[in-house]
Amino acid sequence: MGRSLAFLIPFVSLIAGAVSALQGAETVWSGLVIAENVAQPQPIPPELTRIEGSLKKFFGYNQFQVIGQSQKTLKTGQEDWLATSKFFGLHVDSQGESAAGYVLSLKLYKEKELLLETDAKLSKRSPLVIKGPQVGSGQLLLVLVIQ
Amino acid sequence: MKTFEEKWTAWLDGQLSGRELSEFEASLPDKAAAEAEKAGARKLGALLKRELGVSALTNEEFFSHQLRERMMKESRVPSAEREAKASTWWTIPRLLWTGTASLAVFLIFTIFVIRDKNPAEESQYLTQILNARVDPVVSPNATVSMFEVKQDRVTVLWTEGLQSLPADYAAK
Repeated sequence: MGRSLAFLIPFVSLIAGAVSALQGAETVWSGLVIAENVAQPQPIPPELTRIEGSLKKFFGYNQFQVIGQSQKTLKTGQEDWLATSKFFGLHVDSQGESAAGYVLSLKLYKEKELLLETDAKLSKRSPLVIKGPQVGSGQLLLVLVIQ
Repeated sequence: MKTFEEKWTAWLDGQLSGRELSEFEASLPDKAAAEAEKAGARKLGALLKRELGVSALTNEEFFSHQLRERMMKESRVPSAEREAKASTWWTIPRLLWTGTASLAVFLIFTIFVIRDKNPAEESQYLTQILNARVDPVVSPNATVSMFEVKQDRVTVLWTEGLQSLPADYAAK
């Protein structure tokens, strides 16, 4: 018992160290979301659960559907990626990592047309929501979350 | 003046001689029995000598036994010392205590580091929008504004006046 505990403690310490080292690599979820008001709203996608209250409060819609998404694990903090739907494309260019998060350059395209461009410092604990154009009776939203 | 017993003992030991010997032997009531007793005493003496020799041997054995025991004790002492040297300070309980103490120290330092770090990070707690612009050709009347919802830790970039699109654009 004592001997196994003596092995267990360093083992747990090593695992904890490895886990904390792995925490360096983080995943950014980028989504193109259509917000609408419907009679029978679908359940909110799991990626948006933590900001469901804010989305409903600020945009006034009861349904949020993901029409395009990308999940990118950042290792160097210098990666770029694209989240696309049939007509829209969100290009994200990560330009570096700081203690607070990542500096991102975002471009929203409608097919090949640039609609919106912004630079943001995405915090690891604070999602970013961008209100896009009106689409039909709904609204296009761009959501970025560090998972 | 020697008593009879003294003279008898001396006669048995063959220490009487001359006139004293002849006077004593003449005084004996049964000389043959006395000679037989003398012979018996000599045998006894020889036997005792032998026995004493055996006794001396026993002592030898006893001493050698004692010596052997002592040597074994002496040979045991270094091995005990060797065992003492082989066993380290790192016994299992001490190892456990050291591990626990190390973890406690690590946690304490971690808490202090996190406490020190938090105030600096407070200003960068929320996502910050550094700049934003819309294409003035596509959406000439568009405006952008930004706000942070500290309660929900959400940063919102709010655009107004972007070109509206048909519902088909909501396709996946």
